[in-house]
Amino acid sequence: MSATPETIDGPLLTADGVPLKASLQKSLRRAKLRAALLVAPPLLFLIFLFIIPIGSMLTRSVDDTQINKVLPRTFEAFDAWDKKSDPPEALYEAMYLDLKNAEKIEIGQASTRMNYAEPGWRSLVKVTARRIKKIEPPYKEAFIKIDDRWAELTYWRSLGIMKDPITFGYYLNAVDLDYDFDKNIIQQDENRRVYNLLWWRTILVSVIVTLACLILAYPVSYLLATLPMRYSNLLMICVLMPFWTSLLVRIVAWMIMLQQNGVVNDTLVAVGILGDNNRLEMMYNFNGTVIVMTQILLPFMILPIFSVMKTIPPSYMKAAQNLGATPTLAFIRVYMPQTVPGVGAGCILVFIVAIGYYITPELVGGKDGRLIGNMVAYHMQRSLNWGLAAAMGTILLFMILLLYWIYDKIVGIDNMKMG
Amino acid sequence: MKTFLKYTLLASVVAVTTAAQAEVNIVSWGGAYTASQQKAYQDTYKDPGSINFINYNGGLGEVRTQVESGNVTWDIVDVLPHEGRVGCDEGLFEELDRSVFKPAPDGTSMEDDMMIKLPNDCVVPQIFWSYVPFYQEGTFKGEQPTTIADFFNVKKFPGKRGIHTWPNALIEMALAADGVAIKDIYKVMSTDEGIDRAFKMLDKIKNDAVFWSAGSKPLELVQSGEVSMALAYNGRVGAAMLSEGAKFVPVWDGQVLEEEWLVLMKGAPHRKEAIDFLVHASTTESQALQAKYINYGPMRASAFDVMKKGEPWFHNGKNIMEHMPNRPEVMARTIVANPEWWADYGDSVAERYTAWMGQ
Repeated sequence: MSATPETIDGPLLTADGVPLKASLQKSLRRAKLRAALLVAPPLLFLIFLFIIPIGSMLTRSVDDTQINKVLPRTFEAFDAWDKKSDPPEALYEAMYLDLKNAEKIEIGQASTRMNYAEPGWRSLVKVTARRIKKIEPPYKEAFIKIDDRWAELTYWRSLGIMKDPITFGYYLNAVDLDYDFDKNIIQQDENRRVYNLLWWRTILVSVIVTLACLILAYPVSYLLATLPMRYSNLLMICVLMPFWTSLLVRIVAWMIMLQQNGVVNDTLVAVGILGDNNRLEMMYNFNGTVIVMTQILLPFMILPIFSVMKTIPPSYMKAAQNLGATPTLAFIRVYMPQTVPGVGAGCILVFIVAIGYYITPELVGGKDGRLIGNMVAYHMQRSLNWGLAAAMGTILLFMILLLYWIYDKIVGIDNMKMG
Repeated sequence: MKTFLKYTLLASVVAVTTAAQAEVNIVSWGGAYTASQQKAYQDTYKDPGSINFINYNGGLGEVRTQVESGNVTWDIVDVLPHEGRVGCDEGLFEELDRSVFKPAPDGTSMEDDMMIKLPNDCVVPQIFWSYVPFYQEGTFKGEQPTTIADFFNVKKFPGKRGIHTWPNALIEMALAADGVAIKDIYKVMSTDEGIDRAFKMLDKIKNDAVFWSAGSKPLELVQSGEVSMALAYNGRVGAAMLSEGAKFVPVWDGQVLEEEWLVLMKGAPHRKEAIDFLVHASTTESQALQAKYINYGPMRASAFDVMKKGEPWFHNGKNIMEHMPNRPEVMARTIVANPEWWADYGDSVAERYTAWMGQ
């Protein structure tokens, strides 16, 4: 008797009588839940220790709420003023009330911020706040007696820059623009235009270092990938050894090599190639920055390219040459395109690291070694202008995201392999 | 059983032990300076093991982060003059009760014993230091540099100049070199023309400038011959001369005298012990003792008296008074820095200086 299955009416059932569809969905849901739980710790870690802190830092780039909280009446009176005539008594009275009612610490923080808008505010507010209790009306006279800067229009008008709780002033400053007192966008004082040059220089240095790394790393990776195991292991140690050495030790070693009386210059002069007055200037300038950064970032380029090259079967090259291609043609048309994912990974890695680097350029770059990272560090640590630092950080972030998007369109991010 | 062990292990690894150590954390600049602080203050303290020195690179960024987040791990910080003011105004440092500080041996209170007036209630006296130009013996044949104008004169004294990557002291020195009287320097600086004048003077050494940001760098630059003259912290130059026998020659004319303070962080975890240490570190004896190990000037006048009587005072048997930046003989041509001015205008001048460096 042939075992013909019975036709089944109605939905398919599993052994315990539950519909197959429901059973399938249940087990799928459980698998998804397990996956979600496995992903949860790193995801929560990422959110709470990375995205939220950095996000809150970045919101500082537009945050001007502190001063609006400390000087509410002043800003109200400011709005009522026509900003051209002499500041009215009401404005002074508003400032008096605000300074009297604010906490000492709030006044300190506010005066720091006001100083960014117009230098001199800090001492003006401080000296006034110290004597606020002894002030009697008429306030205008009393203020001007404490410090005659209160009579100037400049300081009062600069309040116009600070009066909105959300401000784009920091972003403007980060690209050498500024608000004038009516909140129109103008170019920053000619003497203080520093950021655009730094943006340009940072990108230039990063691009040059990436290209230099690529040119130097490609042959080395090829060698590593094609040599027999014995030699390639030895070479790999040579590549990794500097990688494991302290960064500062490498930088100081380069200083000794490249400085005016360093090894390279002394050798060239001793051999007679250079005159004593024509020593090469390779340290404490742009050249020094590029040379040292290239050497430091070289392993980041060598390793991804090497790991991709290792997976390319040598049979392709042989097949191409069998079909009539010259070795050069075979290399260019068959081998190189297969290394593109590794090249892409290496370039992205080196570029992103290079664009944020500032310690190396600061040590070996001299006056050409000031990059945007130095200014972010300066504003975070010294001038305490965290709004400006956050604005520059955000701009850097969006620049990288833009480049990433362009890279994706050209090369395709799925085309990036680490091996 | 195995899974139980696994989870207990996991839990114990995850549990963070935040046992508060009884160590007072003092944050300072490292190098010979901190070594002198350790020898003068820590080793003479009643419980040296309870003090822990940490190095930092300056700036209030970390201080502000700690205080704002409520997670203060530092107790005492060694700060630059304008930071001592800005931090106090912003409530990052605690205001101290002056009555706990020890008077001088002759009974003068600490406030009256100070060589300058205390700017606010947060700061505890530390040292005077200065930016001083210097060169190596034998660099120049014939006439030697003796004034600040010589530093800016690359024709008469050829070679490169080592200057720092921030404008403090440079503006003052440039104006002094341009002929402005020492007492008028800050008046001139408060005008736009004054700053322009200073930058015109700086332009004279622009092409020969080699920039440094770490304290030991200018010594290396001068010693290796990379530059012929450099500006440096006087203590570093003095330490090399006194302890290592380096043949440096400081040019005291036009040096810029700066203050240095110790402050207590707001919300410091070991507040009482820290205040006790601050009292100990600011006594006349401690102040004088620090000068045994580094040539930074004490802030208390009574300490100067102790040192003068005890000459040779330096720990290796050499005289120290001739290396003190705030000694009376050089004060006529010393520019005393004005941190209030720098607190106000420092950021805008720094931006202009960065732009100037980049051109």
